[in-house]
Amino acid sequence: MLSFENTKCECGHQNPVGTVLCESCGKPLEASEAASDMPLEMRYDGVARRSQKSNPTIIDRVWNFFSSVKIAVRIIIITLLAAIVGTIFTQENAFVSFDPATYYEEKYGWIGKWYYKLGLSNTYESWWFIGLLVMIGTSLVICSLDRVLPLYRALSKQQIRKHLQFINRQKTVYSAELKNDPEAWIGQMEEQLKRKRYRVHRDGTALLAEKARFSRWGPYINHIGLIVFLLAVLLRTIPSWSMDNYVSVPEGEIVQIPKTNYFIKNEKFTVDYYKDEELPEELKGTNRAKLYETKAVLYTCSENCDDPLLEPKLEEVKQHDILVNHPLSYQGLKVYQFGYDDTPKLKAVKPVLIDKETGQTYGPFDLTMRDPELNYKLGPYTLELKTKYMDFVIDSAGEPGTQSREPNAPAFIFLLKGPDLPEGGVPYMYFPKQNDKVRFSQDAINGDIGKRFEIKVPKMEDVTFAAVVSTLNVRVDKAMPYIWVGAGISMFGLLLGSYWQHRRIWLRVDNGRVSLGAHTNKNNYGMRAEVAAVLHKTGIDVEPKSLDNGGNKS
Amino acid sequence: MLGGDIRQMGKNRRKIQIVILLGVLLLGGYAIGKALFVSDDGLPKRGEAPPDFALLSSDGQPHRLADYEGKALVINFWGTFCPPCVVETPEFQRQYEKWQGQGKPFEIIGINLSEDDLTVSNFVRKYGLTYDILRDKRNKIETLYGVRSYPTTFFIKPDGTIMDIYVGGMTEKDIDERVMKLLQS
Repeated sequence: MLSFENTKCECGHQNPVGTVLCESCGKPLEASEAASDMPLEMRYDGVARRSQKSNPTIIDRVWNFFSSVKIAVRIIIITLLAAIVGTIFTQENAFVSFDPATYYEEKYGWIGKWYYKLGLSNTYESWWFIGLLVMIGTSLVICSLDRVLPLYRALSKQQIRKHLQFINRQKTVYSAELKNDPEAWIGQMEEQLKRKRYRVHRDGTALLAEKARFSRWGPYINHIGLIVFLLAVLLRTIPSWSMDNYVSVPEGEIVQIPKTNYFIKNEKFTVDYYKDEELPEELKGTNRAKLYETKAVLYTCSENCDDPLLEPKLEEVKQHDILVNHPLSYQGLKVYQFGYDDTPKLKAVKPVLIDKETGQTYGPFDLTMRDPELNYKLGPYTLELKTKYMDFVIDSAGEPGTQSREPNAPAFIFLLKGPDLPEGGVPYMYFPKQNDKVRFSQDAINGDIGKRFEIKVPKMEDVTFAAVVSTLNVRVDKAMPYIWVGAGISMFGLLLGSYWQHRRIWLRVDNGRVSLGAHTNKNNYGMRAEVAAVLHKTGIDVEPKSLDNGGNKS
Repeated sequence: MLGGDIRQMGKNRRKIQIVILLGVLLLGGYAIGKALFVSDDGLPKRGEAPPDFALLSSDGQPHRLADYEGKALVINFWGTFCPPCVVETPEFQRQYEKWQGQGKPFEIIGINLSEDDLTVSNFVRKYGLTYDILRDKRNKIETLYGVRSYPTTFFIKPDGTIMDIYVGGMTEKDIDERVMKLLQS
C-alpha cells in the first residue's frame, strides 16, 4: 500500500492501472487526458496495457521492456542499420573458397580489414544479429499479447451509453436539438446505419453502431505471420533442413554431392556468348554469356557411396537441363547453375619423334597430362618418362619444380634410347606448349640431342583440351514452405488492417438534444462523409466538414 | 468476489508470462548459441573426431582411418607444388624414424593433393619416405578436411580426437613438441 492510484470511475467501474478511458463509460481518467479538451486518445480504446503494474518484479520489468513499442521501434532500427552495413561488402558465405583473413584487406584496404575484424563480413550469421532478431521476435509476441487481449475484451463488451465527454471529444462529432420525436429519430438512424452495413445496438435513447471490427485484428495476424516466419528461419539451422554446397563437374563426369547420397553427372555443358553487335558500345569485345546450360543427370547411391575403393552403385532419378533460374529439382534438393570454367587446359597431345638428320618421323604416341604412360616405343627408339611437371617453374634455389597441380605449363623429361645413342639413354626435355618451349628455352636445355631429335605435335587436331567444368550450386531448404506460410499469414493480416477501417458511431439523446460521436482508426474524411450521409437520410442536413472536431491528421 | 477474479487472472497471467519468457529463452538461446559456438561449415575442429576416409596408398593398398585406431597419428596434406611442403617433408621422415625406432604407437600419413603417380613416386624416392603416402584423387578428402592452404597438418590423439590443426610449413621443433604431447595423451 505504498501508493494507491484511484482507478475507479464515477460510473462505478473498477479499471486496471494505466487505463486512459474508463473501460465502461469512456470517461477520460488519466489526469492530462481529462483536463484537455482536444479529441481523445483512442489508441487501444483507452484500455490499460496488460502488464502495467504499480510495483513491478524483475519478470515484470523484462516483460515491460519488450512490451514497449518505443523499444521495439529502436530494436528494429538497429537491426535495419546492421542489415544495411552487412550489404556493403560481399559476405563470406558468397564465396566458394577463399581466405577471408586476407581477402577483405587486399580488396578494400583498411576499411575491409576492420570490416572483417568487426565480424561484419558475416553479419547475418553473427550472434548479435541473431540476438537482435530474437529480440524482435520476443517483442512481437509480448507487444501483441499485451495489446490484443485488452483490446479484444474492450471491444467485445462495449457499453452502449457512453459518457458525454467521451462522445463530444471524438474527432467526428455532431450535436443539436432534435425537432422530432427522439425515439422515432433513433429508429430512423438505426435503419439507415444498417443499410450502411453497420451492426447497431440500442439502449433506450443511446445507440452504438459498428462495422469492420475485424480489421483491428489485422496487425496482430500480421505479427503471427512474422513470428511463424522467424521460427521457420530458425528451423533452417537444423542441420538436415538446409544445405548450400557447390560442386564442380567436368563435362562427361559424375561427381558426388558432398555429404549426400546424390551423385550428379554433367552430360553436356553449353555456353553461348553475345555477339558483338548485340552488346552495347562499352561492352563490345568482351565475353558476355547469353546462355549457359548443363545437361544434368541426378543419381542416388545405394551402396559403396563414400568408399573410393569400390564403385558406387548408382540409380538414375532425374534428368534436367539446368539453366540460370531453372534449377534441377528433386525431393527438396535444388541444383542451380552457378558458374563455369572454360579456360582451355591441355589434357593430352599426340606428338611424334622426328630424326632431323634423316627426316624420318616416329609415332605418334599418346601423352596425357595427368597420369601418363611411362614407356613409349617409337620404331627403333624408346622413350622412358622419368619426371614430369604440371606447371613448370625454376624455383628460388634454381631447382626445377611445379607451382601448381593444374597443367598450365606442363613439362616432361624423357630418357631417349635407341640405335647409335649411348647405352643409358639421353635425357630429353619436352614442353608441349609452344610458348613454354620458347620461354624455358627447350633447345638450349636439350643441347646436342635437341639438334638431332625433336618431339613435336604435327597438327592442332592432335591436341585435346580438358572438358569445360560447370560449377553447380546445390541447395536444400526444407523450411521454405513454412516461410511462405508465415509470409502469407503476414500479408493476409496486412490486407485486413489496411483495406478495411473499423468505424463506430455513438449517439445519445438527453432532453431532446442529440450528441453524436464517431471514431475510426483511419480515414476520418470517409467517416465524416458517412455520418453526414446517414444524418441526411434522417432529415438533418450537415456539411461533412462541419463535423470535424479538429486534431485530424487524416 | 471481484477481487478474487482479479487475483485469479493475475496468477494465470504470471504463468503465461513465465511460459513465454522461458520459450523465448530456449529458442533464442538455441539460435544465438548456434551462431556463437557452431560454425555450420561442418569442417573438423579441435576436440572432434576427424572425418573417416578410405584411400589407396602409392603401392595400391587400401588404408582407412580406422586402421590407425589407438595410435598417435599425424595426417599431413602435401603436394610437390607447394614449397613449404617440400621443405618440411624430411622433418616428418626424421620424426617417423625417431619414434618408430623407440617402438611408440605412432604413425604418419602423408596425403598427396591429387597429383599423379609419377610425380608422387619420384618425390617419395627422392626423399626416401617410408611412412604411408596416400593418394587423394579428385581432392575429395582434402575438401572433407577443409584444407584451404598447403601444407595443413592434423595431429590426432590415440583416443581419435583432433589435438591440433597446423596450417603452413612446420619446423622440426613444431612437429616434435606436438608429437610429444600426442604420445603423452
